[in-house]
Amino acid sequence: MLAYVIRRLFAGVIMLIVMSIVTFALFFASPIDQASFICGKNCSAAQKEQTAAAMGYDDSFANQWLDFAQGVVKGRDFPDDPALRETAPETIVHCDAPCLGYSRERGDTVTNLIKDTFPVSFSLAIAAFILWMIGGILLGVTAALKKGTVIDRGLVGLSLIAYAFPTFFVGLVLYKFVAIKWGLTELPRYTSIAEGGVGGWLSSLTLPAITLAVFFMAAYVRMTRSYVIESFQEDYVRTARSKGLPERTVTYKHALRAALTPIVTMAGLDFAGLMGGAIITESVFNYPGMGKLAVLASSDFDLPTTVGLVILLAAFVILANIIVDLLYAVIDPRVRLG
Amino acid sequence: MAFKKPLAALAATALAATLAACGGSDGDNESSGGPAEKGGEAIFFIGPRSVEHWDPQRMYIGRDLNNSGRLFYRSLVALPASNDPVEGTTPVADLATDTGTTADGGKSWNFTVRDDVKWEDGKAITCEDFKYGASRNFATDVIIGGPANYLFTYLDIPTDADGLPQYKGPYTKKGQELFDKAVTCDGQTITYRFKKAWPDFPLSIAQLRYLDPYREDLDKGDANNFVVISNGPYKIDGTWKEGTGGKFVRNENWDESTDPIRKAYPDTWDFREGDTDEAIYEQLLADSGDAQRAVTERRLPPALFSRKDEAGDRYSQVESPYVDYVLPNFNSPVFKDANCREALKLATDRAAWIKAGGGENYFKQADSVVNPGVPGYQKNAAFDAMGASGDVDGAKAALDKCSAPKPVKIKFTYSGGTPTSDKQASALKAGWDKAGFETELDPLEDTYYSVIQKPDADFDVTWGGWGADWASIGTVIPPLFDSRINLTGSSNGNDYGNYKGGAEVDKLIDEAYAEPDLEAAAEKWAAVDAKLGEDVAYIPLEITIFNFVHGSKVTGYANNVSVNGYADLAVLGVEK
Repeated sequence: MLAYVIRRLFAGVIMLIVMSIVTFALFFASPIDQASFICGKNCSAAQKEQTAAAMGYDDSFANQWLDFAQGVVKGRDFPDDPALRETAPETIVHCDAPCLGYSRERGDTVTNLIKDTFPVSFSLAIAAFILWMIGGILLGVTAALKKGTVIDRGLVGLSLIAYAFPTFFVGLVLYKFVAIKWGLTELPRYTSIAEGGVGGWLSSLTLPAITLAVFFMAAYVRMTRSYVIESFQEDYVRTARSKGLPERTVTYKHALRAALTPIVTMAGLDFAGLMGGAIITESVFNYPGMGKLAVLASSDFDLPTTVGLVILLAAFVILANIIVDLLYAVIDPRVRLG
Repeated sequence: MAFKKPLAALAATALAATLAACGGSDGDNESSGGPAEKGGEAIFFIGPRSVEHWDPQRMYIGRDLNNSGRLFYRSLVALPASNDPVEGTTPVADLATDTGTTADGGKSWNFTVRDDVKWEDGKAITCEDFKYGASRNFATDVIIGGPANYLFTYLDIPTDADGLPQYKGPYTKKGQELFDKAVTCDGQTITYRFKKAWPDFPLSIAQLRYLDPYREDLDKGDANNFVVISNGPYKIDGTWKEGTGGKFVRNENWDESTDPIRKAYPDTWDFREGDTDEAIYEQLLADSGDAQRAVTERRLPPALFSRKDEAGDRYSQVESPYVDYVLPNFNSPVFKDANCREALKLATDRAAWIKAGGGENYFKQADSVVNPGVPGYQKNAAFDAMGASGDVDGAKAALDKCSAPKPVKIKFTYSGGTPTSDKQASALKAGWDKAGFETELDPLEDTYYSVIQKPDADFDVTWGGWGADWASIGTVIPPLFDSRINLTGSSNGNDYGNYKGGAEVDKLIDEAYAEPDLEAAAEKWAAVDAKLGEDVAYIPLEITIFNFVHGSKVTGYANNVSVNGYADLAVLGVEK
């Protein structure tokens, strides 16, 4: 098992390197002059050149990427200017390894930006995850157990409707009507546990978490239902029944356990994806998470922040894949890793 | 010479016309929501366009310049909180003891810093703090984004071949002796020495913040981009979070008796970033929750305009300081020919552009690249013949003389990406095509400025928008049309149409700059504008109208000329 994990981690690192190169390449392929965005409206050509140089954008693609990679391993100084280090060391920002860069647009290291925004995205992801997993699995199992009844049809129909509504629409409806027009909740503003206690934190997450969970819950109801129904038709379930096991044992110990395997896979990947920020939900509710940061970074061509977020999100997904594969072996005794 | 009345008198005429047209004010210091009192928690919705800098030397967005100047940054001089066209555009002493003196017609200016003013940590504000603040503008590899170019043009420091000053700022100290000669401190008196006369210098530092004082001992260069070192009534509570905002609380080291401008009514100011315009206005129109204590500089979105009556007297409309225009590209084979430019001008249907943009609630026809609110504004007679909807027959006649092959194919590159901008572009195309042009629309989004700033870019007409940096035509015409400061081999700067006025225009600009009498200077700027009109260097389109709504618990609300028609946070309060 250890060898398997090491192999997967090694492949993950290679994948992250490739992704960072691709992201850099995309920025270089863009016709947009990043220095212009920083330099402002009344900026001469000479100032623009100087800005590009100060940001390192005048360097070759390979050098810029190598500087970035070096920062991840060893850390970096911004600006990396020996003369300035002599005359004005207080103006140099040191970024410890693993340094993902320094955002001139945001005046901070990417690591600090991620430290600030990660708790928001994580809070939102975990709240939504709990909602959709409990709701999705419970309702999905209920629909499967009541297959063909009004309850089943109702749940399937409702989940189809919920699935059809885009997240931004659900978010806007909740925001405009529930929070503003009817005043049923406070206007959602992210509140950390330190600021508002657990109650304030949970309360601030209510509408965004529901928004995010609705879509996933609908998908998980349908997915759980079909996997449970499928597992009821498996030979080992028939065998269990023929052995005279009680229906409850057949259902929960045999059928549901097998049905959970693909759901765990999906849940792991979906959760990992959300850890990188729920872009639409965070944007609708103006939540300062990584999704919102990603939108801002890409709209003002903030290369360091974009690369840092891409790599972090990729790392989450890679790690989640490995964890899910390991969980397979725990949940399903038929799976052996090697 | 003290900076006083001539400019103010010009401003009075221009601004009275501007504001009366909007019905936003009659020139009195009008406010709404009852008298403001101390206390309460006010909210400012910044909206989707985040603050780019809180570093005073890097700030260049009107909203941030205004708000910071009303709440936490003070300058030598500042504009009083007034909607009176004269009073609101005449600097008063702020951190200085007077509005500045010059003994040589504006070639050097002296200000004496007050003895009783302090930073938020209680340290006295000194002349050296002002000198250090000025020096930071020259570190162009660190202090990026501000309006330092004005200082490079005027301050008596030689430049290198690339046009940048030989002084490289306080971090490297290269050329420090040059700066030390140009800016000197004698006790609490600071003197700025210029290469040429700068008569409206006090107005410049009243509206921009590039000569604000700065603390050398707290300077961390770029890392201070969002650090607020306050000397005004409020200081930041904690840190500014880019994308989220920050809260400002009372600065106990600000002494109200030293400050003639800022009333500092609310106990706190909560600046919130990131909400969409729709989200902001849904809250303001519904007057829900803490939006009752909120103001914003975001404009009422057209989709919600029909609901403005829900806001009652919380709705206000004012004319913006901006002008939008189109520019024929003087490097394009078609528009090298003056007849072709004349045809384009006469075929331009401003009424259709305005209608497509939302109509008279959002735009008003412009008759010059200079906004009517800028002192010295004169309607440019070169555009009279256009009328509101263009002169198709006149355009056809001019097009007959145009040397380009018929039909004259042109490409209009504009800042697109929204249904409104595309509709407006289509409206212009319809007018141009009616006269005999065959227009190709070329909407660009993020790449827009990168493309049009290239001198060899493949477009025939493009769009631009501008507002004066301070109440002077000298901050409109030269930044946009002085080829000497704009055109290089690789960029056209802000001169997107690649206009080269040549010796005649250069001389007119230099004469206007050199004129110490502001009234006479205004006449000279009008002559430059007339020449630009004659050459069809630009075609004016419209002036944007601002539509604002504020919360019901906001008191003393005023859209003052001193803050370009935005809400004046210096005098605004909230109910507790």
